[in-house]
Amino acid sequence: MAVDYVARSAARTRRREASDVTALVRRLDWILLGSVGVLVGYGLWAIAGITRHDVPGNAHYYVVRQGAYVAVGVVGLLIALLIDPAWYARRWRLVFGGAVFAIAIVFAQGAVRGSKRWLDLGFFRFQPSEFGKVLFVVALAGFLAERSRKLDETRTVLQAVGLACIPIFLVFVQPDVGTAMVYAAAFAAILFVAGVRWLHLGVLVAVAVFVVTTVLWIAPAGGVHILKPYQVDRLTGFFHPNSDPADATYNIVQSKNAIGAGQLNGRGVDGATQTTLHFLPEHHTDFVFASLSEERGFVGASILLGLYLLVVWRGLRVIALARDPFSAIVAGGIVFALLFQIFVNVGMTMGIAPITGIPAPFLSVGGSSMIANLAGVGILLGIHVRARGSRR
Amino acid sequence: MAKRAKQVLSRRFLPQDPRAAIPYRLTPALALRIGVLGMLALIVFAVLFLRLWALQVLSGAQYLRAAQNNQLRTVRVPAPRGPILDRNGHILVSNRAGTEVQIWPSDLPKNRAARVRELRAVARVAGVPLSQLATAIRKHRGDLLTPVTVKTGVSEIRVDYLSERKEDFPGVRVASTFLRSYPYGSLAAHVLGYVTEISSAQVNALGKLGYKAGDEIGQSGIEATYDRYLRGSPEVDKIVVDSLGRQRTPPTPLSLGHAGDAVRLTVDLRLQQAAEQALQIGMQDARASNCYGCWNANGGAVVALDPRDGAIRALASWPTYRPSVYAGRIRKTALDAAGLTAATAKASNYPALDRAIDAAYPPGSTWKPVTALAAMEEGVLTPYSTLQCTPSFTVAGHTFNNWDPNASSWMDLRTALAASCDTYFYRVGYRFYGLPGGPRLQAWASRFGFGAHTGIDVGPEQTGLLPTPDWRKQAYTRKTDPCCWQVDQLWKPGDSIQLAIGQKDLLVTPMQMARFYALIANGGKLVTPHLLQDVEQAPSNGRRGRVLPTAPFPAPAPTNVDAGALEAVRQGLLEATHLSFGTSVGVFGSFPVAIAGKTGTAEKIIDPGDGYPRTFNQSWWCGYGPFDSPTLVVCVLIENGGHGGTAAAPAALHVFQSFFHVKSSTTGPVHSD
Repeated sequence: MAVDYVARSAARTRRREASDVTALVRRLDWILLGSVGVLVGYGLWAIAGITRHDVPGNAHYYVVRQGAYVAVGVVGLLIALLIDPAWYARRWRLVFGGAVFAIAIVFAQGAVRGSKRWLDLGFFRFQPSEFGKVLFVVALAGFLAERSRKLDETRTVLQAVGLACIPIFLVFVQPDVGTAMVYAAAFAAILFVAGVRWLHLGVLVAVAVFVVTTVLWIAPAGGVHILKPYQVDRLTGFFHPNSDPADATYNIVQSKNAIGAGQLNGRGVDGATQTTLHFLPEHHTDFVFASLSEERGFVGASILLGLYLLVVWRGLRVIALARDPFSAIVAGGIVFALLFQIFVNVGMTMGIAPITGIPAPFLSVGGSSMIANLAGVGILLGIHVRARGSRR
Repeated sequence: MAKRAKQVLSRRFLPQDPRAAIPYRLTPALALRIGVLGMLALIVFAVLFLRLWALQVLSGAQYLRAAQNNQLRTVRVPAPRGPILDRNGHILVSNRAGTEVQIWPSDLPKNRAARVRELRAVARVAGVPLSQLATAIRKHRGDLLTPVTVKTGVSEIRVDYLSERKEDFPGVRVASTFLRSYPYGSLAAHVLGYVTEISSAQVNALGKLGYKAGDEIGQSGIEATYDRYLRGSPEVDKIVVDSLGRQRTPPTPLSLGHAGDAVRLTVDLRLQQAAEQALQIGMQDARASNCYGCWNANGGAVVALDPRDGAIRALASWPTYRPSVYAGRIRKTALDAAGLTAATAKASNYPALDRAIDAAYPPGSTWKPVTALAAMEEGVLTPYSTLQCTPSFTVAGHTFNNWDPNASSWMDLRTALAASCDTYFYRVGYRFYGLPGGPRLQAWASRFGFGAHTGIDVGPEQTGLLPTPDWRKQAYTRKTDPCCWQVDQLWKPGDSIQLAIGQKDLLVTPMQMARFYALIANGGKLVTPHLLQDVEQAPSNGRRGRVLPTAPFPAPAPTNVDAGALEAVRQGLLEATHLSFGTSVGVFGSFPVAIAGKTGTAEKIIDPGDGYPRTFNQSWWCGYGPFDSPTLVVCVLIENGGHGGTAAAPAALHVFQSFFHVKSSTTGPVHSD
């Protein structure tokens, strides 16, 4: 009897699990998953062309590495998809502590190219601030979801701001101004989606504008240098792009030349002199969009932007479908961070956004960014799977 | 069991969270906010698309051009400069191979510290001070597409070091070049001139003629005058470089260059050598004569030209220099040692100065034929009228002495010229003083080319000074002499008297003098002295070899001087070299070819360097031969050489000996002015 019960129970469980997997598969946002898949594949193809002449004798050096990162990222995506958001919503304090710890640990390391953003694990240089981005969104969302009934109170908003400032400040002083900006943008979206009052949002925006102008113009004019001179040059250089090609704006001039030279159909891998002759610096990381545009032209760059738009649209849709405030806030933070990175990176290569070291999502060669972004997509997919109702 | 199943469910992937007290719904407020985010996303993408469209489609062609220019460098491969030949085809100047290090400022490291480090290394390897390098690069600012030439003629080993470590020196390239080579050292240095890299001022002035920074350009002499023929045109190559300036493709020529044209001079190498030896002989003779002040005989000039057309056969000036100090990288110490900088020129007695055309001296007695011709033309004198040659001549309380205090006889013009009687010409000069119709002597002198440029095709050239009453009026003011300027302004009898024997204010260049003696020799025609024979285009890159047309020099211009008067002067000059009382009979009397000529001893106040300016005798001799059909005029000046017969006449003889391939059998005692 008991044996029979156990056996029947196990069978039921198996059936239920089977139906669970079926439900999961059925409830997946296939468009989001598909567009991310195509985006990653397109990115690999683009990288293969862009880096073909970078490592002499090994045309596939970067694309193989990037492929490995994608593989790890897919695992990350699956894990994020399978974990119920409620699980980590409860543990936001732990997540927050982990994020801060990971960001802070790089200060124990030596500087690489003048900044301390990487953690050297020997086989892999790990950039905690990229993963921290996802953890940061989760933690802040958890904090605000917990106080979802007290969001109108100034106190809650101030607490959230205080909490957010710790990791933002740590990233800022690494120094990695670009990533700090992404954190701030994600935080703004979190407050926005959580439902903080418009008045509070307005005040925060005003304060942010004041702080930025102080850091960039007023404090240096008064002799206080919060940012390093090269950072100020890079952040403000896009206001006067043709001043001196040998210095701060050399990158942007070369980047625009590369993009423009691509014209409609691109110059192909071998004709893309800006990339292959190294006139375009960082052409497989920060300026990868310019290289893509040079090699594949307006057509190729538009395909990338179209895929980005698709991902962002599906992400916004996830916010609307989220089953609880926490999920909605997390989705909002992830999607907006993605949008912000796309704008700043792509805009930077075209001279309409400041030069900051933000990689192009799913495109730039870099393990941390790729894995973290795929994990973020995993979270979005996980939220969608657990969405209200059964409609897709 | 149902509860447990529910728990299992909740841990699985199904949506319902049992702890959610109120089911979460999409509120209108959240929908609005999602809508706002959506709008923001649309705006962002719209902006990105539009910008991409603008860059790639609307102005893509412009950026494509910029990208192409990025990687293209045009390299000017210098053309070999044309050789300079003498009239018989002997090479006076040619080229030798050299190497140079070029720096491309646009390809240097962008990082300031790395740039400084690299430049310091290049400076050490190339042996150039870093500051000089920095100055050169700074001067090149704004011209990113032509290289800064660091050093020409760096040694092989150093070149190898740089080319082997190309990777360590982005923006630095080793190139081959041509350096000027002078097989005869300092021979005819003033005529040939020298070549250096073009200065920025010259680029600005000559840019229209195709000169570019980094080009070589003639700075003086023939090299400067005929630079347009000599320089040729460089081959312009296109190379593709990467962002570190490393060459990625072999050079492809954009335009083919061609070698510079050969410039053939009228100068005769052998005669030029003789003329330069003659200067040494003249100065040695002067110093050996132990005459007053002759220890200071340390400069001079020789002009030898064809009186029929003004072609210069030899043109020498002493002291001189080696133009090769300017080939390759110019070292200031070398220039200093050669006396070619402003600070050291005086100590070396101005070696860069071409005394034949760019220095003016009082002509002394060599001027007397001018006075004689003018006097006969103006009716002041006839060839056969006789005047007394006395030891001195006094006018208005002033006494003017003859060089020979024993002279006391009546003389006609020929004899006066031959014996170079000063008092005879004082009297003639005094007659000019009273002459109506302005300064007639000066008018004739001016017609004979004095006080003006000779028009020789190298420069710079002085006009000398032909003093007139008007000139005195302008030259002397209250400033020049606060006490007696009103007296200074007057043209006094003494002015006319001393002008007649080529003294006081009169200044002429040896070239002007040679031109005047050519006029006597050729029957009254004023020639334009010149050095260019022709320009020969070398066959290269499809250009055939041929003689290029060049602007002809002006034909000898008739001065309408009376043939009889000229003949009288010619006889006087012949007697001066052949009769017993002639002033250079001891030198030319036994020379197989009949030479006619005149000595001159001109007093000039000179500071020999000890701070006590005093009168020194400038030694002159001008003349021509053969007497019947002259083919060569020679004019020699030896600074501080004493009497004309002591230094200048033997020097001139040396030139004639070389020209006529004969030696004088004896040289007798010299008694001259």
